[in-house]
Amino acid sequence: MIELLAATPQTSTGEAVAFWCLAPIAVGAAVMILLSRKAVHSALWMATTMIVLAVLFIMQGGIFLGVVQVVVYTGAVMMLFLFVLMLVGVDASDSFVETLRAQRVAGILLGAGFGVLLMAAVSRATFPEAVGVGAANDAAGGHVEAIAEAIFTRYVFTFEVVSIVLITAAVGAMALTHKERLTPRRPQPEQSVDRIRSAHPTPHPSPGVYAQHNAVDTPALLPDGTASEASVPDELRRQGTVRYTELEAANRRADEDGERE
Amino acid sequence: MNPIVPILFLGLLAFGFAAFSILAGSLSGPKRYSRVKLDAYECGIEPTPQPIGGGRFPVKYYLTAMLFILFDIEIVFLYPWAVAFDQLAIFGLIEMLLFILTLGVAYAYVWRRGGLEWD
Amino acid sequence: MMPHLADGFTSPTFEYQLLAPMLIVFGGAIVGVLVEAFTPRGPRRTVQVALGLVTLVVAFVVLLAVTRPKLGDLAASGTVAIDGPAVFFQGTILVLALLSFLLFVERGVDSAGDAFTPSGATIPGSASERELVAARVSQTEVWPLALFSVGGMMLFVASNDLLTFFVALEVMSLPLYLLVGLARRRRLLSQEAALKYFLLGSFSSAFLLFGSAFLFGYSGSISFTGIYDSLSSGVGLDPLLLIGTGMVAIGLFFKVGAVPFHSWVPDVYQGAPTPVTAFMAAATKVAAFGAMLRIFYVALGDYDWNWRPMFWVVTILTIVVGSILAITQTDIKRMLAYSSVAQAGFILTGVTAASDSGLSSTMFYLVAYGFATIGAFALVTLVRDGTSEATHLSRWAGLGRRSPIIAAVLSLFLLSFAGIPLTSGFIGKFLVFEAAVNGGATPLVIVGAIFSAVAAFFYVRVIVLMYFSDPPDDAPSLALPGAATTLAVAVCAAGTVALGVVPGPVIDLAQEAAAFIR
Repeated sequence: MIELLAATPQTSTGEAVAFWCLAPIAVGAAVMILLSRKAVHSALWMATTMIVLAVLFIMQGGIFLGVVQVVVYTGAVMMLFLFVLMLVGVDASDSFVETLRAQRVAGILLGAGFGVLLMAAVSRATFPEAVGVGAANDAAGGHVEAIAEAIFTRYVFTFEVVSIVLITAAVGAMALTHKERLTPRRPQPEQSVDRIRSAHPTPHPSPGVYAQHNAVDTPALLPDGTASEASVPDELRRQGTVRYTELEAANRRADEDGERE
Repeated sequence: MNPIVPILFLGLLAFGFAAFSILAGSLSGPKRYSRVKLDAYECGIEPTPQPIGGGRFPVKYYLTAMLFILFDIEIVFLYPWAVAFDQLAIFGLIEMLLFILTLGVAYAYVWRRGGLEWD
Repeated sequence: MMPHLADGFTSPTFEYQLLAPMLIVFGGAIVGVLVEAFTPRGPRRTVQVALGLVTLVVAFVVLLAVTRPKLGDLAASGTVAIDGPAVFFQGTILVLALLSFLLFVERGVDSAGDAFTPSGATIPGSASERELVAARVSQTEVWPLALFSVGGMMLFVASNDLLTFFVALEVMSLPLYLLVGLARRRRLLSQEAALKYFLLGSFSSAFLLFGSAFLFGYSGSISFTGIYDSLSSGVGLDPLLLIGTGMVAIGLFFKVGAVPFHSWVPDVYQGAPTPVTAFMAAATKVAAFGAMLRIFYVALGDYDWNWRPMFWVVTILTIVVGSILAITQTDIKRMLAYSSVAQAGFILTGVTAASDSGLSSTMFYLVAYGFATIGAFALVTLVRDGTSEATHLSRWAGLGRRSPIIAAVLSLFLLSFAGIPLTSGFIGKFLVFEAAVNGGATPLVIVGAIFSAVAAFFYVRVIVLMYFSDPPDDAPSLALPGAATTLAVAVCAAGTVALGVVPGPVIDLAQEAAAFIR
């Protein structure tokens, strides 16, 4: 197969057809990354571009590169992108208000100008006849062998340095996301003993269920009509996102005003 | 024939089938959405107040994803080494062990510092 | 040409001697990660500090002792070149890193501890952050990270092909992106700075990588020697070479903070923990200029008639914009940031000369600039408002009366930046201007000289502010520096004076070393 690919230095019809089918998809999807308003859509368009690129690599005889493109980029890196989107909230969208006037116009113009410059340069160059990767692959006794040869002979030092990049990534991810525990985690028996000894061995009262609200952020009412603080999770109270009934909210406002006076 | 061609053909077939199924379903089925129908398939009270932005995931997931990528990349390098293992001989083995050991240090760090614990 | 696998494998040879300083730094950093894993929290910081300092000192000693006799060899199958400039820059990076590490150690100036947040993962102002501060936890990962960055810088100035070059760039940059975001005070500003630096930095890396692909497309080789050899033969592919050169230059201009790729500099220098700012401003600039010199003098050495016009434009822009914007700043860290942009312009004047004297003068200037920069940022950490640094310039008014020593030493560094005689900056400017005139770039020197005067204005303005204004009523407190900071400032001040009064030995060393191998 490698021989087959290598035997055709000039573009074969099949390759040309495949290229002209795939290239517009790759470019179109890349443009859609920029134009999509939702980050998730952008990410999916990016996956499309990457898969198409992988197919193009494979067509060129770079099978390993194509597979790596799918495994690492389309698989792992895209997954990381989507994770990050979930961390910030899937529906969160950027504000499209320009802080600097005419920034977008200038950006589009400069980007287009840069594209034209690149295309002009590449089209002005006269390329020698392509040799294909066949010869290099044959010399090493196979496609993946050729890559192994490059990694483990000439670039073996660089390869080892790549492990430094990876270790930095691990340390960095830990430094930015991992909170160290100051006290060891308490085992369940201790926790249950504590609970029995606490003032609240039984479950806390369940939140209020009303016609208009029925969520855990709505406190239940005690017989005297005031809200039961114990019926909403501590975390929500700390965040200040507890939803009181209208009457209770009015009472609280009145209390606060009273305190202020 | 190029052995890639059947794979591409199969891929095309799979893509076509998926596209057809989705299209056919959306074209032939009736669309009668109501609020109840769009509700989560759960009973009882709503689990949490719905935050703005459809909910966020804890940042802990990021660490897991990042570590996955690290070892994914390690495997990418293992593959050509494994293919040319015979020719690379003891030198290749040592270099690969060095690489794996370095990443092993990262693993030891994450493990010992509780990065793999879920609490 | 390497023998192929199919013909039987011969393992490549390593020149361990030549690589030893880099291997020591990387090894020290990896041991640092192991320390993070296996040392209990109590002694962890002490172990990391000792390990970091010892690693740098040992690497420097080994660099002096071992590489000298074999200077000028390729190592690791030709992917690394250990020649005069590489060793000179590696030594400079190690010394500057050691001085910055002394600032990292300092715990005396901030009542809560060192300049780093106890945990980058806690939300600024949250209860868990307060808990960790109270327990005096410190984020000791900064030590191995900084060591990784130093190792990357050392490889960056020595890499001899595009692949190693790019990997070294990432090894150098990734830890810096992290370090910038770990400030103890003004954490939101610090995190914003880290994000900006990361986004723009990866964008510029992408340019550099894209440009590298064009250079490879032109020459069919990724080794600098191969690219140089193909300069005479690549007929018809010149447009690729032109585009590749331009895009690689963009990536490097970003790293040195040259206009118009400087927009990250003020925000990042301001937001980063001040010791990290000192480290970045000094060591990163040395590394980036070292790599720039190598790629443009070695790989594109016979192509200077094409890249020099681009350097002319960027140099003039950098000097002019950096100097003028520095005048308008009211924050001392931002002022020093714009001053470092202007300084990058002066250094670029030497690079533009494209000659051996251009190389040696740039090398000298970088040493002089590095010492003065670390010293200046070290002094910024001492003047504090309550807990945070008092960075607004008005807070520095009348400092000369309250602390004559701080004001005098800062004045020394500022005068050196301004290029006043008897300081290192004067000799540096003189050398780069001389090299530029000999290299046919006289107009650059004229612009440089005019804007040296403009730059002198804002440096002297700070000095005037310190000595001839009344201190504000609620004057900032002056922290008493610990031994580490005192030592760093003393070394920087001594270096600045020594390089200004007796520059001979270092100039000789730079001239002796100023020969790239291909």
